[in-house]
Amino acid sequence: MSRFKDYGPLLVAGVVLIAGGSVAAGLTGAEAAKARLDHMKGQGAAMKAIGEQLKSGAPDMGVVKVQAAKLEASSKELTTWFPAGSGQSAYAKSKALPVIWTEPAKFAEKASALPPAAAKLNAAAQVGDAAAVGPAFKAVAAACKGCHESFEAKDKT
Amino acid sequence: MRTEVRRAAVWDLPVRASHWLLAVLIPFSWWSATNDHLPWHRLSGYTILGLLVFRLVWGFIGSPTARFGQFLRGPRGVMAYLGGKAAPVVGHNPLGGWSVVAMLAVLAGQVGLGLFSVDEDSIEAGPLSKFVSFDASRAIAHLHAQLFLVLLGLIGLHVAAIAVYGLRRKNLVGPMVSGAATLAEGAEARPLAPAWRVLPAAALAAAAAWFVAHGLRL
Repeated sequence: MSRFKDYGPLLVAGVVLIAGGSVAAGLTGAEAAKARLDHMKGQGAAMKAIGEQLKSGAPDMGVVKVQAAKLEASSKELTTWFPAGSGQSAYAKSKALPVIWTEPAKFAEKASALPPAAAKLNAAAQVGDAAAVGPAFKAVAAACKGCHESFEAKDKT
Repeated sequence: MRTEVRRAAVWDLPVRASHWLLAVLIPFSWWSATNDHLPWHRLSGYTILGLLVFRLVWGFIGSPTARFGQFLRGPRGVMAYLGGKAAPVVGHNPLGGWSVVAMLAVLAGQVGLGLFSVDEDSIEAGPLSKFVSFDASRAIAHLHAQLFLVLLGLIGLHVAAIAVYGLRRKNLVGPMVSGAATLAEGAEARPLAPAWRVLPAAALAAAAAWFVAHGLRL
């Protein structure tokens, strides 16, 4: 469980920020929620760009490097995007479920899966290890899903 | 003497098969999306795409009752039918004909939107989503979910219409299963299309579905 040793402090920080953190830098709950949606869209766009390269049969590693770096940097900030009071009651379009703040330890555990996965993907991309990028990308996707399935509201279809 | 009951082959096998396959695939597409089986959902969508291309081609080279040119009427033809003044019809009447076009068009739109859709993690992506931005693809995905409700409405009207015909002692389900129907007085059935014509239609349909599924790359 060396991963926990590396990211334990991040986990603790995450719990503290989510459970007790006040909204950062004068942002209202709604503003924090909207900013969080924009960050998430940015991550989704990076995933789309990388996924398309991997599916193309001739991936442009230049694109993968740029997007993987963006994703790693973004993922490190993730736990700061969930201050108390930035949920659906503050911003109707938010898909952040109340359970994020009622069970912060569980949420932090799931959320903390993303930074190491994104780091691994970026490491493989930066050295041009095309063989490792595929599995690393799948691991990032699994991390996204692992958090979303419990802590994100489903789309109304 | 009582008038003879004349029965004839009205719906050819390709029309019937397309109809019942869609009746199964549309609910399956809905179920697979709702229960997060996206690979099955895509496969179902590609099959529907193939069926739509097939039906479009068949609408030009198939049996008379399958051809759009035969069962579609302009506004005057529709009004004449509604006023009871039209000649007896074999196959779709003018209202039924336009409802077929409406359902096929909305279904084609639904498939089209799906091809460009992506989920929020970009893990599940339509084969043509690479041609648009993430934001555009997400907007298209929402439209895909909303258009389904329109499709559902049209299907509901379709089923209701069949039920009303049933209550009026006109069974329309049987003929769509067996192909044979009782002809109205004065109506004449025409021969069905020869079987070999299925081959070019099916080949085009399969090629189109394959090409699209592979992101328009050969």
